[in-house]
Amino acid sequence: MAVRKMLDIPVNRVEGDLELRLEVADGVVVDAWSTGTMFRGFERLLVGRGALDGLVVTPRICGICSTTHLMAAAKALDAVTGAVVPDNGVRLRNLALMVEHVQSDVRHGILMFLADYANPAYAHLPLHDEAVRRYAPLAGEAVVEAVRETKRIIEIIAMIGGQWPHSSFMVPGGLSYGPQVTELLQCRHVLDAYRAWYERRILGCSIERWMAVDSLAALDAWLEEAQAHRDSDVGFLLRFGRAAGLDKLGGGHGTFLSSGSLDLPAETAARGTGGHLIPAGFARGIAVEAFDPAAISEHVAASWYAGQDGGRHPSEGETEPYASGEEGRRYSWVKAARYRGGPAETGPLAERVVAGDPLFTDLLARQGANALARELARLTRPATLLPTMAVWLSEVVASGGRDVYVNPGPVTDGEGCGMIQAARGSLGHWVTVRQGRIERYQIITPTGWNGSPRDSGGVRGPWEEALIGTPVADADNPVEVGHVIRSFDPCLVCSVHTVRKGRTMGRARLEA
Amino acid sequence: MSRPARIICVGNRLLPGDDLGPRVHDLLAGSALPDGVELVDGGLYGLDLLRSVEGAGRAVFVDAVAGFAPPGEVVALGRDEVSALAHGAWGHDAGLPHLFHLLPRVCDGELPEILLIGAEHPADVAQVAARALAEASRP
Repeated sequence: MAVRKMLDIPVNRVEGDLELRLEVADGVVVDAWSTGTMFRGFERLLVGRGALDGLVVTPRICGICSTTHLMAAAKALDAVTGAVVPDNGVRLRNLALMVEHVQSDVRHGILMFLADYANPAYAHLPLHDEAVRRYAPLAGEAVVEAVRETKRIIEIIAMIGGQWPHSSFMVPGGLSYGPQVTELLQCRHVLDAYRAWYERRILGCSIERWMAVDSLAALDAWLEEAQAHRDSDVGFLLRFGRAAGLDKLGGGHGTFLSSGSLDLPAETAARGTGGHLIPAGFARGIAVEAFDPAAISEHVAASWYAGQDGGRHPSEGETEPYASGEEGRRYSWVKAARYRGGPAETGPLAERVVAGDPLFTDLLARQGANALARELARLTRPATLLPTMAVWLSEVVASGGRDVYVNPGPVTDGEGCGMIQAARGSLGHWVTVRQGRIERYQIITPTGWNGSPRDSGGVRGPWEEALIGTPVADADNPVEVGHVIRSFDPCLVCSVHTVRKGRTMGRARLEA
Repeated sequence: MSRPARIICVGNRLLPGDDLGPRVHDLLAGSALPDGVELVDGGLYGLDLLRSVEGAGRAVFVDAVAGFAPPGEVVALGRDEVSALAHGAWGHDAGLPHLFHLLPRVCDGELPEILLIGAEHPADVAQVAARALAEASRP
């Protein structure tokens, strides 16, 4: 008879804003429920406030992606006002957002994902000692180096926005501050230094060499080619990840969404698709379709919100907390974001699949989606962004840094949507302005897609589905579950940081 | 010129109970600060405050704390005491303990004296601000 048991796992150290309930049979996950345990309520907080307040309030949603929320809020107001952002405004907004991405991708890879390689569960693997030396929490050589090297890149946001932290420099029509050429040249210096380090340590090769890796066979050849490749963080991610079987974990529904991001300026040397550097699209497997924002809906059948049966488009969405008493059926404060009625994963892997990237298309065709491919896409995403960052910075410098703003006039009544790709995937802000005030504000974060609960049809969210089939060798140290969840880079609450004496123990938790 | 003392206020001004740092910031921002004392709105950040710490002679953090003393009582915690609370991998929820723990190995230049002034909610903002200012102004 199969041994079945339930396992409750808080996913972060502070007693849980994300908890997983897993049904495990014979050491394998057979069902999963993901619970967002904290009501945020930013949408309600914004109702009745001034039309521009989203620019100041929404960056406080996240202590990691504040520029990302600022960008989505500004683009939603661009849409309301009909603002046309001048080219230098587009470039500088993009640059600030890309800084956040290239910092977040490296920090997630080194400090969060690779930290699990130092888990005692892998003590039997030959590479474990090296993993501990490199990635042990708070002590690993790569950890210290990553913190040192990623701290300076945010100076670019400070110079573009005129302030750090808590810059609200993006406004409808462009930027509220025009950086001086001397500041832009400093940005260039910081960017060049970051790229040099990223190539040397994270990739172990030039970005050009990495971008030539266009298939699974080419990836194997790249690993064989040089010791520097194998010793790099990407090389180690692959070598250890394959030895630990991470390329066989965390499949999921096999549907991918990118809402498109980083608008191309009217005149630029950068190349993109459909007006974006990061293309928009939806993919089933590797078959990519055009993206239609009208096909997004949010379900609350399994969420603690009052509301409709079926889905509702976010421009008509409500955020009305509803403690139902229907224990079990509703189990999360996260709504279920759906595309054409079905779940979709979003994030760096989805971006690469939708873009038709040859390496990730081949990986998916041969292996299917998996935790290792997801993290590989994240840790190598800066390679797809850093060269264009340099192009846009040079273009702003060449034009003297002028024309970053066109006044769109007062914010009139209307509706607008700002959709971009955050570091963790698709982010949308939908705003309705009436008589100068916010009448409705709805936000769908990447975790609203990836970490969604079941929808009206009872279909699991992406990481719930990805957990099915995951082995749990040790219920007290479910490291395999950690790999799957962390490969999505869940957005946990990073906006409450009270220093707390002691900590609660007693349940299995995901940490190294 | 000697290195400044920086009062770095952290917390979430939108969340009662975690808004002590921002409220102290707002109070001090409206006052004339002594020479050599600078004020930083550190908001939600953790590791990204590194650049605000570097170059200071003393960094006085202000944040809500829990479990160190009865609510409202102002406490002063040293770097070692706070960094001892860091454990596990860095995550989205990592805060000052991680920053304090890593500081000696990631801070460029001379490591400033590090101090955390805090109180558990509810606290008298003026009292916390006065203590932070006193610590920052100390010779």
